[in-house]
Amino acid sequence: MTNTGGVLPGRATSEATGLSTIFGIAPAVVYVMWRREMVRYLRDRSQLWGGLSRTLLWLVVLGFGLGAALREIEGYTYGQYILPGVITLNVLFASLQCAIALVWDREVGLLREVMVSPAPILSVTLGKLLGGASISVIQGTIPLLFLPIVFIPPGASPFDPGVLVTAFQVSVDAVAILQAWVVMFFMGIFMTALGVIIASRLKTYEGFGAISNGVIQPLYFLSGSIFPLRGVIGGVGFMEIPEAIRDELRRIGIFAIGGGWVVQLPTWLQAIVYSNPVTYQLDMLRFVLLDFEQMPLTADLLVTFALPPVAAVIAAWSMANMLKSK
Amino acid sequence: MSLAAETAAKPATSAHAIEAVSLGRRYGDVVAAESVSFSVAKGEFFALLGPNGAGKTTVMHMLTTLVQPTSGSASVMGHDVVRDAEKVRRQLGMVFQDPALDERLTAKENLDIHAVLYGIPRAQRAPAVQQALTWASLAEVGQRRVRAFSGGMKRRLELSRAIMHGPRVLFLDEPTIGLDPQGRRHLWERIAALREDGMTVLMTTHYMPEAEACDRVGIIDKGKLVEIGAPREIIAKHPGAKTLEDAFLKLTGRAFRDEEATAHELVVNFGKRGGEHTR
Repeated sequence: MTNTGGVLPGRATSEATGLSTIFGIAPAVVYVMWRREMVRYLRDRSQLWGGLSRTLLWLVVLGFGLGAALREIEGYTYGQYILPGVITLNVLFASLQCAIALVWDREVGLLREVMVSPAPILSVTLGKLLGGASISVIQGTIPLLFLPIVFIPPGASPFDPGVLVTAFQVSVDAVAILQAWVVMFFMGIFMTALGVIIASRLKTYEGFGAISNGVIQPLYFLSGSIFPLRGVIGGVGFMEIPEAIRDELRRIGIFAIGGGWVVQLPTWLQAIVYSNPVTYQLDMLRFVLLDFEQMPLTADLLVTFALPPVAAVIAAWSMANMLKSK
Repeated sequence: MSLAAETAAKPATSAHAIEAVSLGRRYGDVVAAESVSFSVAKGEFFALLGPNGAGKTTVMHMLTTLVQPTSGSASVMGHDVVRDAEKVRRQLGMVFQDPALDERLTAKENLDIHAVLYGIPRAQRAPAVQQALTWASLAEVGQRRVRAFSGGMKRRLELSRAIMHGPRVLFLDEPTIGLDPQGRRHLWERIAALREDGMTVLMTTHYMPEAEACDRVGIIDKGKLVEIGAPREIIAKHPGAKTLEDAFLKLTGRAFRDEEATAHELVVNFGKRGGEHTR
């Protein structure tokens, strides 16, 4: 036993604050700051409705509307293709809204009280990031609930219980859902951290519109969320295939088949899309949900899981310097 | 007595709760505070007085470790505000100019966060929160969200929160702004009670009657400390001055201090116009 007084190595109790820490992080502070974010979210119903309305507009209206013209993308319907994109959009909104509240919090909210307290800033930031990521997972789960809907075969009635059960069985897989939650969570950490870095540099706040138009929408549109980056699209679908073969194909998970044309994005657009980290996170999400990827999987894994911790450290540094240099 | 002599006559001793030595802060070319030196004895009630934008809040923020000084040094209860920031934070209680509360949370939840941030052990948290609510005469509305509170209730909650962790020095930034006479009276009674227990209090204000009630006053103008002493001494020093206000106007002039709104004020105003989303 070392001289840590019977506690585990790495654990300590700060003499000055009485806060117990593990490797410099105070779990009580992380927890209380996380809980604060969750309580704030749960009391603000407008976020939940926003998430639902975005899902209905993008997934249901655009998904089926544009899907009627664009029959398939590499064997997936347009609704299936856009679903991970809509999840991403909800994650972007949830995490950035959580992060940008910091500007407000700093000038007229609780944050000054936190900054003048002895609580370690890394723990405070961690609580914020975990809060933003948790809200992201909840908000991202709203479009995820529509997963069976986009697997209803074209022409089949969505009100037929048999059709719904088949669609559910084909699309929902516990492992895939768990993996999707993990990806959403990491996406949430990354985007909340990015939001914190932006918020710490914003001197004034005149509404969320600038963030929505200037950050969320570009990241969303330039991530391959609503148009494919490569592959074969279009096609003739099931039109000429006999019913029996269709059933056979459905059973092995193929819902559309046929030829089409090869996607060729303009070089400038390709360059922007390929340098957007959200492209890789979204690709990861599409891979775990649909087993469909357009980017190298190694790049997806790296961006999805290695970038968030780096962003979190920069976010903590930004928070610490925000008031000192004010 | 000149300011330099004042500083020299009071060397750093443990009798001082607050000690500032040539404290300064610049933002690029803008000097927010310049060579501010003063000390506050333990148990003293000290006011920083000055026109709008004079640098009162900057000085207070440097003393409370929120802003780092660009020159000079300061200590609170013997701990350096830069090197021993954590120890300083443990020793001080702070009430900000605008409420630093989470309005979507209840009074109880706000206090509970404070208890955790200051490392109050889990078993003592609930009693400490209850005690603070009672002290603020808010025990009945502890479960209500702060957004439904009046300005006076918020201020009481904040003062009560600021002393929850047993600080030795209390910083109050314009504590009576927006309070009605009842609220103001209540606040003064609370502060008086705290001082009986030996609390050192430093506050900023530009209300003369409040400053006159303090043991000593420091007058700040354009980032510099231009006068320091007991209110009566300051009045006596300026022939023709009958009140502290007369002396104050002689020192700082009669010109208006119109300044552009700060980033902070812009955000506050945005909120007052019905700012969205963030509350």
